[in-house]
Amino acid sequence: MTGDASGTCLAAGVDQRPAPACRRPAPAHRAWQTPPVDPSAPSPPDLAVWAEGLGRRFGDRWAVRDLSLELRRGEVFGLLGPNGAGKTTTIRLLAALIAPSAGRARVDGLDLVREADRVRSRVGVLTEAPGLYEKLSAARNLDFFGKLQGLPAAVRAERIERLLRLFDLWDRRLEPTGTFSKGMKQKLAIARALLHDPPVLFLDEPTAALDPEAAAVVRDAIATLRGQGRTIVLCTHVLPEAERLCDRIGFLRTTLLRVDTPARLRTATAGGRVHVRLAAPAGPDLLAAVGADAGVIEARATADGLVAELRDPEADTPALVRAIVAADAAVLEVRREAATLEEVYFEVMGARADTDAAA
Amino acid sequence: MRIAWVVAVLEREAAELLRNRLLLLSILGPPIVIVIGPVVLGKLVAGRPLPAGLAGTLVAGRPEWASLNPGDLAAAYSFQQFLLFFLMLPAFIPLSIATFSIIGEKQSRTLEAVLATPIRTAELLAGKAIAAAVPGIAGGLIAYLGFAGLVRVLYGPALFAIVSAPDWLAATFLLGPAIALLSVMLGVLVSSRANDPRTAQQIGAVIVVPLVAVVIAQAAGRFLVDATGYGLAAVGVLVLAAVGLRAGSWLFAREAILTRWR
Repeated sequence: MTGDASGTCLAAGVDQRPAPACRRPAPAHRAWQTPPVDPSAPSPPDLAVWAEGLGRRFGDRWAVRDLSLELRRGEVFGLLGPNGAGKTTTIRLLAALIAPSAGRARVDGLDLVREADRVRSRVGVLTEAPGLYEKLSAARNLDFFGKLQGLPAAVRAERIERLLRLFDLWDRRLEPTGTFSKGMKQKLAIARALLHDPPVLFLDEPTAALDPEAAAVVRDAIATLRGQGRTIVLCTHVLPEAERLCDRIGFLRTTLLRVDTPARLRTATAGGRVHVRLAAPAGPDLLAAVGADAGVIEARATADGLVAELRDPEADTPALVRAIVAADAAVLEVRREAATLEEVYFEVMGARADTDAAA
Repeated sequence: MRIAWVVAVLEREAAELLRNRLLLLSILGPPIVIVIGPVVLGKLVAGRPLPAGLAGTLVAGRPEWASLNPGDLAAAYSFQQFLLFFLMLPAFIPLSIATFSIIGEKQSRTLEAVLATPIRTAELLAGKAIAAAVPGIAGGLIAYLGFAGLVRVLYGPALFAIVSAPDWLAATFLLGPAIALLSVMLGVLVSSRANDPRTAQQIGAVIVVPLVAVVIAQAAGRFLVDATGYGLAAVGVLVLAAVGLRAGSWLFAREAILTRWR
């Protein structure tokens, strides 16, 4: 639902509404980034996060640079990248924990710099480590953070009970968190991030160092949050997790290299190959008829049909099917080839590495 | 500064302190030793008069001691050495609490979660400083009051008058709290760089070097610090604490904690 690297704004796979980041970029911007927006104007109300040219420098080194992004309310956005790519810095920037060295951003309509205190009350942050007071009980931990969020005692009590029950920790609420398993600590940290009912959540590697069972519990919790309509920015190294949970994924290495839906990233990486399963094997006449179409680069027969390499699969697939039908072949299935997200990751990061090396 | 946020930090610090047995022991142990030590030592030395030269020096410096009999003079001399030990309580207790608190948060990585809330760093620093300073100040005062009470009961009014003289009161009620504040700031400064509470305390222990120097000088009969001296020392220490507060505030900025603390 956003522009691909070539600047083409592709149609959404399931959700056909035009996504905010799908606007055609201005020439001065990279294709995957959004066009400039008047900084004095408030961000559109359907945007939970808006950032333009955001960057943070430590000494001479840019940890994050020229990051432009628009996230809809209720969207789950995955941030992928190697260690040191700037994911945690991006979260710290967008959660108003550190100030940007360049650019500007709004979170839930609030200016990141001028209204930093208010931003912090509108976002929930799950830090890379759970960061719990291990000598204190689960309830006491949440109560403390509820006070720091300025919640009245009655509200704190109600939300603490609701969240501890939601994450199945109520029965152990009075035990020191130092006795908890990693999964329980992570769930409690997520509960802490939700205590003030924030519309925007930043989750930094929520399943890192968890065993598969605990990771599944945390993923289910994130899926639940997604169902509640919160905007979530999820940093993770676990690619299947990102694919399962995220509406869009951004590949980050200092700057955003590519942003799109998981499905479109996979198909874009695989190229324009389309598999067509036929009732009968494809003969030379059929291949010749298909090959005559301008959109087809190459077509070859397979055991159960044919594979066609198309210039633009989105635009050329209907013509391909029409050509096959016109040649009196019976089409059973049309399937576009897709890469795995891991292949996409290495393609994006590898391309960047080549660029770096060339530079 | 919003009081509710400071109180929240203070309550949490207190709750953690009460659950940290090692730290509690290191806070409660020294005051007991410092209260009982001089009382026992006073009894031991009371039967042994001071050398004539030392006694003469003491009486020359403190004419009010001239009325004491030789045994009480020896006891008063030994008590005087312990006055500075009472000042070490407000030096060490806040240092221990502050370093355990801040380095403990660094180790458990809780500070980022705290800083992700709308709390202001001044409120966080204030909560931590009060949580560390109050036990130190209270420890010093309670230990002194306990000691003075025991002296009154076990040694009588003449020696009680010595340990409740203006120099003792100035040291305990003025210099002690000032040292506690300086100690907290030193704890914050050292903890921002150190990653182990013990190391931080060893570095922070430089705060007692001037006190030890005074103890040695007094024990040698070189001089005795009077109330004015303790009052001036309190002012000087408060100035240093103010400088430390400024440096601590700079180090305790959100950005600094998240990006520079290691």
